[in-house]
Amino acid sequence: MVFLTKRGAFRHALLLSSLLILASCNPFSRGRDEKTFRVNIGTEPPSLDWSLATDHVSFNVIANLMVGLTEFDKNLKPAPVIAKSWDILEGGRKVVFHLRDDVTWSDGQKVRAQDFEYSWKRLLNPKTASEYAYILFDIVNAEEFHEGKVTDEGLVGVKAIDDWTLEVRLKHPTSYFLSITTFEVTYPQRQDIIEKLGSKWTEPDHIVTNGPFLLSSWKHENEIQLRANPNFFLGKPAVEQVEMVMINEKTTALGLYEQGQLDFLDNHSIPTLEKPRLAKAPGFRHVPQLRGYYYGFATDRKPFDDTRVRKAFSMAIDRSVFPKILHGGELPATSWIPPGMLAHNPKIGPLYNPPEARRLLREAGYPDGKDFPRVTLAYNTDEEHKIVAEAIQSMWKRNLGVLVRLENQEWKVYLKKLQSDPPHIFRLGWGADYPDPDNFMKLFTALSGNNNTRWKNSRYDHLLELAAREMNEQRRIRLYNEAQRILCEADAPIVPLFTTAETTVLNPRYTGLEYSSMGRLVLRHVRLKESIQSPPPAARGRDKSA
Amino acid sequence: MARFLVKRIVHGLAVLWVVITLTFILLRITPGGPFDRERRLPPEVMANIEAKYHLDEPWLKQYGRYLRGILEGDLGPSYKYLDRNVSDIIADTFPTSALLGILALSFALIFSLPVGLCAAATRNRWADRGCVFLATLGISLPNFILGAVLIWFFSLKLGWFQAGRWGQLSSVVLPMITLGAASFAYLSYLLRSALLETLSEDFIRTARAKGLREINVLFKHALRNSFIPVLTVLGPLFAALVTGSFVVEYVFAIPGMGRFFITAVADRDYPLIMGVTLVYTTVLVCANLLVDLLYSLVDPRIKTH
Repeated sequence: MVFLTKRGAFRHALLLSSLLILASCNPFSRGRDEKTFRVNIGTEPPSLDWSLATDHVSFNVIANLMVGLTEFDKNLKPAPVIAKSWDILEGGRKVVFHLRDDVTWSDGQKVRAQDFEYSWKRLLNPKTASEYAYILFDIVNAEEFHEGKVTDEGLVGVKAIDDWTLEVRLKHPTSYFLSITTFEVTYPQRQDIIEKLGSKWTEPDHIVTNGPFLLSSWKHENEIQLRANPNFFLGKPAVEQVEMVMINEKTTALGLYEQGQLDFLDNHSIPTLEKPRLAKAPGFRHVPQLRGYYYGFATDRKPFDDTRVRKAFSMAIDRSVFPKILHGGELPATSWIPPGMLAHNPKIGPLYNPPEARRLLREAGYPDGKDFPRVTLAYNTDEEHKIVAEAIQSMWKRNLGVLVRLENQEWKVYLKKLQSDPPHIFRLGWGADYPDPDNFMKLFTALSGNNNTRWKNSRYDHLLELAAREMNEQRRIRLYNEAQRILCEADAPIVPLFTTAETTVLNPRYTGLEYSSMGRLVLRHVRLKESIQSPPPAARGRDKSA
Repeated sequence: MARFLVKRIVHGLAVLWVVITLTFILLRITPGGPFDRERRLPPEVMANIEAKYHLDEPWLKQYGRYLRGILEGDLGPSYKYLDRNVSDIIADTFPTSALLGILALSFALIFSLPVGLCAAATRNRWADRGCVFLATLGISLPNFILGAVLIWFFSLKLGWFQAGRWGQLSSVVLPMITLGAASFAYLSYLLRSALLETLSEDFIRTARAKGLREINVLFKHALRNSFIPVLTVLGPLFAALVTGSFVVEYVFAIPGMGRFFITAVADRDYPLIMGVTLVYTTVLVCANLLVDLLYSLVDPRIKTH
């Protein structure tokens, strides 16, 4: 037996307790539940009320808690979910949805047509003050109800005929209306719950949902836990639980993924400089998004009031460099409607042609960029926007002999500047709310609040009106082709640069994760790969090579 | 004493009012509004949103409404986190920041005391130079770099501590060190300077001449008299640490209040900015009051009036 002095015993106890603390702190010393799938959503979702949500973080949570009338399929066409079928009547002015009768809320009640009627009218109600109220303005009296000109909500053209039939009356034939029903803001809601609990109805103890997962807990600014809904009408998801953590710092999130503490990361969690390294990892991929990135010209300001100057600037950009400098799988674009969407046409738009660009500039009175006025290219402060702006600045200098001044501003200041006094050239992007070209092309109509170029073309506006009412797909495509030629070739108020892609990395032990081109994270088909489902206990550690 | 307290509380309330008013004005004149988006909203939609949050009212009316709300304990709804009001957000996040801040301050105090003492006692020798180097390093090293280095080494390389996933014991250690490092360095430096000054005083020479042991001179006579400058900075330091740090909370994914000092401004979430500013100012005023009270305990020559 070894006797220790008092001081020696103290030292040994201290050493032993330190080792024990360190051992307990080591995340690798604990096993982990393989039926829990862990993703980083980056930040706190601003709202889980789908009438108020506006951002991708909120929608990514909501998309796993709820389903609606339809969802878009792999071809971005609306496919039935709660609506088992629909009739388009009166030449497209009336749509009648026939609902499934086996869809239940998480408290056991059936999902009925009245829940849709309530939700849509709540979205339109001026008191709700929803940012997406305008999405339903094609419905009879919807805009008037939102403006307060119609106060009787019974006059709004959405009505539950019975528990399983929803009738929608439209102001005019609306070709893209079914696409709108894929959008989360049109999902049903429970009047009894919302009116009883007010803004607190989205908390885990109160919220009532109908989707593949249920909200178990929501630790604000920290993590959200979902558990599989055993009564989901399309089948219980394979993973029992989902942890959605909120880690804003990309390097920290990547570190946790590489430690095996997270199973999935997207663009918001992967540092740009790490993308080339991660590209070699299993489970890495780029998912093209319905999101365009463009430069706009202030067409009412010299020298960009001259179409030849705008075209010259557009032709002097070699768009193939963007995926090489951004490493994000960007798809160079010369036309505005993104790949995957109806009427996407890569043949539209100016090709990279420096001699022709110089000729146009010379014709406009600026041979080799001589006497070209001092112009500014503005973007909101962001590392990737800076990389793009610097690349384009150097191309314009090289190909046109014009040196533009770069200016970056804080986001809200930048937005204010675009509204009040747009700079000569500015950066913006646009992501689809619903997968239809109308959502993209309407941006540049004369009356659009989002048209910062101040460009107007009545033929363009007319073509879009026709396309919105045209129910025949081929004729719609032809109309959008003509409109795109005006937008990207003839008048060129904007320079489409690329469509973005989402960089994602999935733990190779899992499969079935869907990251849609609308930026939605769909987890209901996620499962462990079959070869991994029954590993021997000794092999249950995490794969750190991912 | 009672008169002193009443006077300081009245002063504190005046400071709070000035801070609230200035913050309110600054927010209104900053370009960009809370609902300005890349996807600009139709005018009728924007009008309903502004009506809901009373942003369509004149500034003076909004100001009056806000002051009334404070008196009734209602800090208003957040413009960003639409399901929650500012009081809920602060109630959820402030305890986390306060816990981390208290741990960081304790870390700073516990380690700065021996380092400051050691440096002062070994003036101009290698130990002193080592302590001064450590303090200079702590002050000059930005905490986002220190945080990144600690994560890289202790979390990614050694796997001892977890970075992120707040709530587990192992996730507290690195942010505590990162947040407390600069305070530790500053307090060590301050204590060393104060001790050196005290050690050159006549009464210390007298104590030594009487034959007191150096350790007794240091602890019984010099240390107590050197606490005053340390105590002076403890008030603002406490307020800064317990109300959270954007960088540390961002790097370590801590669900605290500090991040809102930056993100709420970027979002132009007026009520949330006002709320966190109000909390910070209140903590600062209270901490300074406490420090003033502690002065008289440390040095009975200082009276609280």
